[in-house]
Amino acid sequence: MSQKYYLLRNREIPNIDQMAVYQSHGGYEALKKALNEYKPEELVDLVKKSGLRGRGGAGFPTGMKWGFLPNDGRKRYLVVNSDEAEPGTYKDREIIEQNPHQLIEGIIISSYATKAREAYIYCRGEFLFGAEQLQRAVAEAYAAGYLGENILGSGFSVDLKVYRGAGAYICGEESALLESLEGRRGNPRLKPPFPAVAGLYGGPTVVNNVETITNVPAIVTYGADWYTSMGTAKSPGLKIFSVSGRVVRPDNYEIPLATPLRTLIDDYAGGVLPGRRIKAVIPGGSSVPLLLPDKLDTPLDYESVLQAGSMLGSGGCIVLDDSVCIVGATARLVKFYREESCGKCTPCREGTYWMTDVLERIEHGLGTEEDLDTLMDIADNIGGKCFCPLGDASLGVLVSAMKFFRDEFEAHVREHACPMGAKLYDTVNH
Amino acid sequence: MIRLTIDGQEVTVPEGTMIVDAAARLGIDVPVYCYHQALGPLGACRMCLVQVEKMPKLVTGCTTAVTEGMVVHTQGEAVEKGRKGVLEFLLINHPLDCPVCDKGGECYLQDYTFEYGPGRGRFQEPKIQKVKNGPINDLVLIDQERCVLCQRCVRFMGEYVGEPHLLLEGRGVETVVTTVEHQPATSQFTGNVIDLCPVGALLSAPYYHKGRPWNIERHSTICPHCPVGCSSLATTRESHIIRMEGRPVPDRDWGWLCDRGRFGYDFGYHPERITDSWVQQKTTSAAQATRDVAEWMQRTLTQYGSGSIGFVLGGHFTAEEAHLLRRFAHDVAHTDHIAMVRDVKGYLPLSLNGTFEDVAQADAVIFVGVDPYEAVPVVHLKLRDRLHHFPQLQVMGVGPRRLTRETMPGQDYLIDAEDEAIFFAKALASRLPNDSRVQALIASIQDYSLPVSDADLEVFGQKLLDAQHLTLLWDGENSDMATVLSVLADVRENPTAVLPTFGPVNWRGYEQAGIDPQYAAVEDLLTKVRNGDIHMLVLWGADLLREFPDRKLAQQALEKADYVVSAQVVPPLDMPYIDALLPVATWGEVEGTYVNMEGRLSIGAAGVQPPGQARPTRSYVVNWARLFRQEWQDDAWDVFDNAEGDVLIRADAAVASEITLTRPATKPADGVWTVIQGAWVVENGLPSEILEPRETEFVGRISPDDAARLQIGAEGGYVQAQTSEGSVLIAVRPDPAIMEHTLWIPRGSRHDWAQHLEGVLTLMRPEEVPSV
Ligand SMILES: Cc1cc2nc3c(=O)[nH]c(=O)nc-3n(C[C@H](O)[C@H](O)[C@H](O)COP(=O)(O)O)c2cc1C
Ligand code: SF4
Ligand code: SF4
Ligand code: SF4
Ligand code: FES
Repeated sequence: MSQKYYLLRNREIPNIDQMAVYQSHGGYEALKKALNEYKPEELVDLVKKSGLRGRGGAGFPTGMKWGFLPNDGRKRYLVVNSDEAEPGTYKDREIIEQNPHQLIEGIIISSYATKAREAYIYCRGEFLFGAEQLQRAVAEAYAAGYLGENILGSGFSVDLKVYRGAGAYICGEESALLESLEGRRGNPRLKPPFPAVAGLYGGPTVVNNVETITNVPAIVTYGADWYTSMGTAKSPGLKIFSVSGRVVRPDNYEIPLATPLRTLIDDYAGGVLPGRRIKAVIPGGSSVPLLLPDKLDTPLDYESVLQAGSMLGSGGCIVLDDSVCIVGATARLVKFYREESCGKCTPCREGTYWMTDVLERIEHGLGTEEDLDTLMDIADNIGGKCFCPLGDASLGVLVSAMKFFRDEFEAHVREHACPMGAKLYDTVNH
Repeated sequence: MIRLTIDGQEVTVPEGTMIVDAAARLGIDVPVYCYHQALGPLGACRMCLVQVEKMPKLVTGCTTAVTEGMVVHTQGEAVEKGRKGVLEFLLINHPLDCPVCDKGGECYLQDYTFEYGPGRGRFQEPKIQKVKNGPINDLVLIDQERCVLCQRCVRFMGEYVGEPHLLLEGRGVETVVTTVEHQPATSQFTGNVIDLCPVGALLSAPYYHKGRPWNIERHSTICPHCPVGCSSLATTRESHIIRMEGRPVPDRDWGWLCDRGRFGYDFGYHPERITDSWVQQKTTSAAQATRDVAEWMQRTLTQYGSGSIGFVLGGHFTAEEAHLLRRFAHDVAHTDHIAMVRDVKGYLPLSLNGTFEDVAQADAVIFVGVDPYEAVPVVHLKLRDRLHHFPQLQVMGVGPRRLTRETMPGQDYLIDAEDEAIFFAKALASRLPNDSRVQALIASIQDYSLPVSDADLEVFGQKLLDAQHLTLLWDGENSDMATVLSVLADVRENPTAVLPTFGPVNWRGYEQAGIDPQYAAVEDLLTKVRNGDIHMLVLWGADLLREFPDRKLAQQALEKADYVVSAQVVPPLDMPYIDALLPVATWGEVEGTYVNMEGRLSIGAAGVQPPGQARPTRSYVVNWARLFRQEWQDDAWDVFDNAEGDVLIRADAAVASEITLTRPATKPADGVWTVIQGAWVVENGLPSEILEPRETEFVGRISPDDAARLQIGAEGGYVQAQTSEGSVLIAVRPDPAIMEHTLWIPRGSRHDWAQHLEGVLTLMRPEEVPSV
């Protein structure tokens, strides 16, 4: 399938991670355009008009977020969230590794728009290559005069630093990210105040996802109308979906929003393996509820997926086929949250630990009927009672799996084994 | 003000109040772990879930500020299930330690589980194992398994004290509270985390396995270790004080203690505690000693008539005991020579004496000669509290060393102690040159020059006048400061308050009992002893050689007196001169009133029996009266007569009648060492075995540069001091607060060498000292 890329331009242009190649393909022209033709406020309006929504998971309108910064003369910060650690999501990784200059160009334009004097990229600790690429590309951008003092003679100055995290999913949550960036333990902060009012070092701060910012140069180049010509009125534009699981071609796919889920799985990712059927899909990263095959025609936009009973989230689309043991899959995912719970609040810290134990017991054929009720009760005691969204995120798959596949859980209990014949990994922790 | 409804009751609270605090106003208890008013909201434990109408989910009452018309339910099915869930979560990894846990019976996990928790646990898996009874330092233990990760301890040390010696390590269920790099926490406020910990995770090492709530008694009392007189609770068992805890006073005091106060309670049964009488080199019964002393008094009186006995009070006695002694002196021993031992010359009139409310309101504070962190530690925390609420707080230090510090940043004016009053006077004169009071103040010192620029003086003077609420802490060293302070308060339009940091700890109480607190009084009394006008000296808790700065006079008086009687808790430095040493009951053994540096009255409780033959002052006084064949009758004196509520009534301030300052003697030549002193609560004369691991013998301090030159490392070392009287080996360590060629020593140190530092000429390494 041949297509034109606006975000994953590396797919078309080899070596676009090199400054010279990026520039020879129109790189940093959007920056020049932004500096020459727009006042900061006009850029904010442009992004508002484009309808761009945050690609970090929550889908918050980006232009509106930029507009929240109080005009009180304090030093402003732009922080780019490249902590991408949500299981099933690997889109930001491709951008920083293969097309870092477009992100950097987006950061400079966004800093200009938000009047940020300092910008940071918070890079997931495990992204070693990505961090090296970013660091190299940032150095190239400084050398070319796109960063630092008085950029391209515009009078605008911004500094950009790449900061490597230590490997914690919770540091993707924006306030934990800011704590970590300040050198402290990555625990979420109490909100309000929100980062726009009191963010990095207490200053007004915009936190945006890598993909969000990578959209900005394209929007400056092609205009808001171009952007809104794709997707729906509420969810316009392009989105990268990371498809994984039991499909023929797991990969990142840059497609317009509102493309049907079935198109993404069948046409782009090549469908499930021959002879297999889709059992369920996690459409938006490991934190969102499962969708059953009857929802495969759902258009992939924020509203439609929500209506279908899940969330678009980060766009990490995990496909489970009929050979997958749902209990095992759930146990793996819940365990991820147990490992990544920051430990600040009681329900998430203790609850994810307990649920993992119970799930693994059930998976190994050691569960009881009572366990199933206990599990749902634990989930109820976590749900809506945690300090940050991670606790609730641990429940998305579990609660929907128990709703749709309770018989499979019961079979594990009844038969004291996995009815799918799944291999029992030795994953019990003790 | 915001009006809202909680459980059907209406309440009006200030904007910004959290739901839990609003509920507390109505007497509705919302369970909390992580929330503490002093620390602010955190939202970690989720124990405080409540229901707010029109909100989709339960909310945490500690992080949700009230809004107008809000309707809150702290009961009901959803809330109960929420609480039950949180408690069940807290218990899944909590060890079954209650039967052996020091906190058992006074633990919030027990209490809340009993009240709100599930009756039965459903958790079947093995619990996570963590460190049990690991050290935070020598005084505080941590059982990580019992920790509910409320972070109170971590936040207290980090945010409140500003000494982040505790931290969280690990993630998720593996999270633990530990110390930085697993090294002992050295802050002097660590003990507070024991009180703050809602469960049995942080434990007092000396109290470890020493008592349970049903075999201890708790007495409401105050700390005797410094003039703050922190409100506290003494835990006693079998006539031993075995623990001190902070005692919060609603709307006034968080109940913090410093480690000196919290752990230094064992002086009452320290091995050095005097439990026998000792008369003329021989141990004897207290009854015999009492008779002997009575006989000496009678003999002295017979021989020399009235006024021939002098009494000097010190120690930690109650105001009532001071009154008894004064009456005894006057009525029975026929003398009005009674004074209290003073280690500095300054005196503060009650009219200028502020309270801690003046710290809580201050926009500017000045430390005159005193570093509150060392002299009155909990005042440092009160200042931190103020700084937290009012970050613009101006902090200034005036004295011969740096008095501000990293955790209390501000501006230091380095001024010799004898110039402090002149510095203030000149600063005032720079802004108010035409004010007659100020003119009088500087009349005698106009041409006396200070090592400060005129610009600095003007800036300081302006600050003195501009402060909206000026609070000064004063060490009493420079006695002229009293005059300056009274003029300052008079010329300022806004409130001016002074908090004296000098001792004896209950000096205001003694003063109320009619004992002259002026330095001149005790100096005059000792001069009379030396001159042979007074023949018998009764030292009630006073240790002249340790406390009285004119060591020569003290020694001459002690030598000259026919009889020296000394009632003490531990052996004094005066020992060689003492004819009768009487074991006396002290704080914790006698009930009575203490007046702290605010002029606030508190009752010290009698929780334990005095050990051995130690007996209360009253026993001595009544017995002596009987031996004098006099019937002792108590009078109607009551220290509370002069109080409104629990604070002494301030008379209207009158400007000192004599507004002149003393001109300091000419400065010693350059190169000669300056010896300065300061109160340090650690070195206050009361021994403690519990605190031994915290003690250093290197109590002297010199500048880091001098230390480097003398090859003294951070932990300290010995140097030889050449003085005008000879040479003495002293123990010092570097302190960046100390200036070059300056030696700081703690006031009233029990180290003998600290008493021999007249005219220090040089310090040198011991091996450099030329052998004689
Ligand atoms: C547990 C958790 C993990 C998150 N991880 C990420 C992440 O890895 N990358 C990201 O961009 N946003 C992540 N977010 C969302 C951020 O908090 C934040 O909303 C986002 O970075 C804002 O950028 P956007 O508006 O451009 O989406 C996470 C949120 C939570 C609660
Ligand atoms: S829900 Fe609580 S424990 Fe879990 S990551 Fe968020 S703050 Fe940490
Ligand atoms: S040790 Fe105590 S105070 Fe500290 S976090 Fe644990 S439970 Fe809270
Ligand atoms: S500050 Fe003073 S009174 Fe308070 S606990 Fe410490 S020594 Fe005792
Ligand atoms: S007390 Fe409210 S969350 Fe801990």
